Amino acid sequence: MIDVVFLLLVFFMLTSRFGMDMQMPLRAGGGTAAAYQGPPRLIHIGADSVTLNGRPVAVQGLPEALLPLMAKPTDAILLRAAAGVPMQQLVGVMAGLSQAGLTNLILLE
Amino acid sequence: MDIPIQRPVQRAENITPMINVVFLLLIFFLMTAQIAPPAPFDVVPPTAPLDHPAEGTFTLHLDANGQVGFEDALGETPALAALEQAYTRACADRGCFGSAAQPVVILRADAKADAALLPALLRKLAARRITNIQLATRLAHEAPE
Repeated sequence: MIDVVFLLLVFFMLTSRFGMDMQMPLRAGGGTAAAYQGPPRLIHIGADSVTLNGRPVAVQGLPEALLPLMAKPTDAILLRAAAGVPMQQLVGVMAGLSQAGLTNLILLE
Repeated sequence: MDIPIQRPVQRAENITPMINVVFLLLIFFLMTAQIAPPAPFDVVPPTAPLDHPAEGTFTLHLDANGQVGFEDALGETPALAALEQAYTRACADRGCFGSAAQPVVILRADAKADAALLPALLRKLAARRITNIQLATRLAHEAPE
């Protein structure tokens, strides 16, 4: 019996994965989303800069810069990443926005 | 005088404490294990200070070179087809397409993958009626696996 128990122990030691992933909701443009309302809120993520409606903004300053453009925190914000931008950069911007309570992020092609 | 030589008595080693410890370890690993199908390739998700543990029925992988994988299926078209098949099978008796109860797909994308691939992939998933998608991230202080 102890052999079997050891075998099980080794099996679970080898197959278990530690370090749980966290998750972030993803939404793409199009589909059945509610109609976009209000002034344009387009964040373009370039290789070395982030622009809001064409004007360069610091990533930390994005929620503040978006504030006057939004009627409520659930208004849609459009995000577009340039080709070649690493996923980490996009996720950094998205995480910053969702931590500021702006959760309706829509990815554009 | 005949003094008998005292031989040390050979007693069987008591293995009960060891069995206890082994059982404890076994129970620990049983409780903590998540037996997930192995990833088709290595993916290091981007870091983000978010604290919602990822829970999904299916995991779609996207590596640093933009390769898509689902279970054994590699390449975008086979992987999406395999995902759709698994998704449809899971949905067959529940009629869950388009409802809030539809299964969650975890997209495990590499931190170095091209972000511009993401919306295109989402569009292709939406075309297969898979819309409940969560992006996997990891906490910054956790070392990559």
